[in-house]
Amino acid sequence: MSGRAPAAPADAGGPPALRIAHLDKRFGGVQATSDVSFEVASGSLTALIGPNGAGKTTLFNLITNLFPPSGGEIVYFGRPLAGLRPSEIAALGLVRTFQTARVFPRMTVLENVLVGAHRHVRAPAALQALWWPSALREDRTLTRRADALLALAGLATYRDIAATALPMGAQKMVEVIRALMAGPRLLLLDEPAAGLNDRETADLAVLLRAIGDNGTTIMVVEHNMALVMGVADHVVVLDAGRVIATGTPAEVQADPRVIEAYLGQEAAA
Amino acid sequence: MTEFIQVVIAGLLQGSVYALVALGFSLVYRVTGVINLSQGAFCVVAALVMYWLEHALGWALLPAGLAAVIATAAFAAVLGALTFVPAFGRLPNSGILMLTIGLLTLIEGVLLIGWGSQPYALPPFSGETPFEVAGLRIPSQGVWIVGAALLVVLALWYLLIRTALGLALRACAENVVAARLMGIGVGRVTLFAFVLAAAIAAVGGVVLAPITSLQFDAGRLFTISGFIAVAIGGLTSMTGAVAGGLLLGIIGQLGAVYVSSLFSDALSLLVLLAVLVFRPNGLFASDRGRADVREAARVVQGTSRLGGRAGWALGAVAAAILLALPLAVPQGGRFSSIVITGIVFIAVLGLDVLMGFAGQVSLGQAGFMAIGGYTAAVLATTYAVPPLLATLSGVVLAVLCALVLSVVTTRLRGLYLALGTLAFGLLVDSLAVGLVDVTGGPSGLVGIPSFAVGGFDFATPLSNYYLVAGLIVVLVVLLAGLMRGGFGRALQAIRTDALAAEALGINVVRYKVAAVAISAALAALSGSLYAFYFHFLSPEMVGTSRSLEMVAMLVVGGEATLVGPLIGVALLTLLPTLFQPLAIYKTFATGLLLVVFFLYMPEGIFGAAVAAVQRIGRLFAPPRLASPAGGVAE
Repeated sequence: MSGRAPAAPADAGGPPALRIAHLDKRFGGVQATSDVSFEVASGSLTALIGPNGAGKTTLFNLITNLFPPSGGEIVYFGRPLAGLRPSEIAALGLVRTFQTARVFPRMTVLENVLVGAHRHVRAPAALQALWWPSALREDRTLTRRADALLALAGLATYRDIAATALPMGAQKMVEVIRALMAGPRLLLLDEPAAGLNDRETADLAVLLRAIGDNGTTIMVVEHNMALVMGVADHVVVLDAGRVIATGTPAEVQADPRVIEAYLGQEAAA
Repeated sequence: MTEFIQVVIAGLLQGSVYALVALGFSLVYRVTGVINLSQGAFCVVAALVMYWLEHALGWALLPAGLAAVIATAAFAAVLGALTFVPAFGRLPNSGILMLTIGLLTLIEGVLLIGWGSQPYALPPFSGETPFEVAGLRIPSQGVWIVGAALLVVLALWYLLIRTALGLALRACAENVVAARLMGIGVGRVTLFAFVLAAAIAAVGGVVLAPITSLQFDAGRLFTISGFIAVAIGGLTSMTGAVAGGLLLGIIGQLGAVYVSSLFSDALSLLVLLAVLVFRPNGLFASDRGRADVREAARVVQGTSRLGGRAGWALGAVAAAILLALPLAVPQGGRFSSIVITGIVFIAVLGLDVLMGFAGQVSLGQAGFMAIGGYTAAVLATTYAVPPLLATLSGVVLAVLCALVLSVVTTRLRGLYLALGTLAFGLLVDSLAVGLVDVTGGPSGLVGIPSFAVGGFDFATPLSNYYLVAGLIVVLVVLLAGLMRGGFGRALQAIRTDALAAEALGINVVRYKVAAVAISAALAALSGSLYAFYFHFLSPEMVGTSRSLEMVAMLVVGGEATLVGPLIGVALLTLLPTLFQPLAIYKTFATGLLLVVFFLYMPEGIFGAAVAAVQRIGRLFAPPRLASPAGGVAE
């Protein structure tokens, strides 16, 4: 298993996809993250790892502004995100998935994926109501794209059944596809491999590489070390709300602090 | 000053009964996470049973009252074991809430069959002579009411704090899953809470009966007042329930004496809306309420919709039937009910967008019918505005009201949303009754002209039929287009997971407001057509009973299916006219239908039919559900 082509440095001269500076979050007396700073280079696949309770999902929630930070700054492609609604952030192309699969019940797999295309729907509601040709054409185009993505993930045969009828692994895959349908510039994936079996995890790795090669920047929270080391070109390690190491997978694996905080803890368990 | 104190005392007496009902609400809510809206009906059951024991069997008042409370508890036990308890694990909380509306209707139906529709009053327990204390007159029954309320509160406190059963109740209130793991029979505890709450309500009914005359449908007044009381106080707080009840009683009496008896309801409702806006958890609640861990597991799972070709075929058949129907049915009463079915269906279409697609529970839909109907009717009748323009004005006003209401409702979810919309409907209701000079008050507005466009008067039932049928076809086509596209997908995404929808770029607030506006517009249109068709409009035609009935029609037909609810509307509108001599059973049948559908066919008639068609279709198609990862998950 080899990493992706030589780790892309902060290239192209443009701003990083994500720059996080001195991010703090307190819940009452609990310090969930403190002074977190790192960058996600545009076009990179960055993994965010750390033991349970390190604050990884909290960080995602802060980035997508499900709750506001207590201090610090989040800048997305040169644009500060403070004060934007989650939907406005998504509309800028910063799209996330959730730790537990959250497919929409009472909608088919295809419809679920099409919800992801929301920010690309241009036809105003009035034209949709009138079955206007341009609105129908747009819907067909989006449906074709959804079908193509479903085929890529091997889910084409399930397109017309209720998404909640799928096994958990397939539901998580639907969620990733749904996020892709939004055409994100930066995709945040929260433990996409949790609950997946080995074969599904291998499929996911292939999918992640394909997405990355397409130019989408990816940041992924993941516990599956084989997956992280196989696909990531940059790793950020979080422990107890602080960044304790950053670097290439190889550098991070060799870092004694990481071994102590993460692997050491596992060995002790 | 004496008068003021006198009024406050009267308010406290009334409030004590509200407090008892509210206590029951709080008890059931803490254990199950659901408000049992049938609660108030148990007050009336107990009062009427007591009347029967006293009058028909000649029992003394006190034994009759005691026996009535016991009988009511037994009745509640049977009802709860057959309906309320099985609903858990099967229905989402919003579904159980609707189920209890069905129970309320069912109990009212039973009372109507047993006791008829006339009011009953009992003599006071200890004579008519009031006590006189320092120049204040206190009705002797007041002592019984306050005493009973105190006794119940003390007994409840003892039960919850000092007994093993109370511990089990509190454990379920804290965490159902953990309670089950500890070996507590959650089903039995749920049933116990349900029965105990009913018994408390029964005590309230028995002591109140001597100073208020009660008839079969008085239960919903207690339910609504108790519900408002518990919402003001805070759903999770027993102290709050009692305080909320007393406060509500006092506000009601003060309003009736110092403002106007016609507006006293409006006053309490404004207080409630203010509480919902500024302190949505109530004045006394300490925490954020229960976390509902079970909610997600109990959503209806299927997707009931017809594919393109089947949909068009069904549409063509339906349009042909619509066109030909007047040839098959003779003009007359029955034909008139068909027209009414169509008019009500327009409002239910709006409710389907709001509740079925966007998942926003609304118990106040008839409020928008009233706004639209009264605006159009008053403009056309008093100011001779052309009906078409009057209707449009009604629609615009209803949409404006909907936008204002959205400020409140978009912050509320689940139970609180149900409560907020119910309060809105009741507020409109009480304004329609209170603004006598404009609306004609309780007796209604008469002399409304027919609907007219240009020079053409829709004076006959037949012309109205084609007007309504045409509107329905246009509306269904428009809404179908809207719901199959990006707009409808966004609404359905919001329905179950607003957070995930928001994370995909859907502005949840904007879509909720849009759904409320669409539903208000359609309800207003329906209300105006209703008024123009009948040439008459009264508050009770577009009141809260109508709101609840429309929810029933929607669920029986099938939510989120657009045409499905037509089946529900037709069933509940036409059946009573087909069986005129059985009219007394109508309430009972409506309630029974609701309960059975919520329990056994939550996807509605249309949804079940589509599922059956799909299942048959699958028999002839190659199997598609062979999952790669070992079967289909739950």
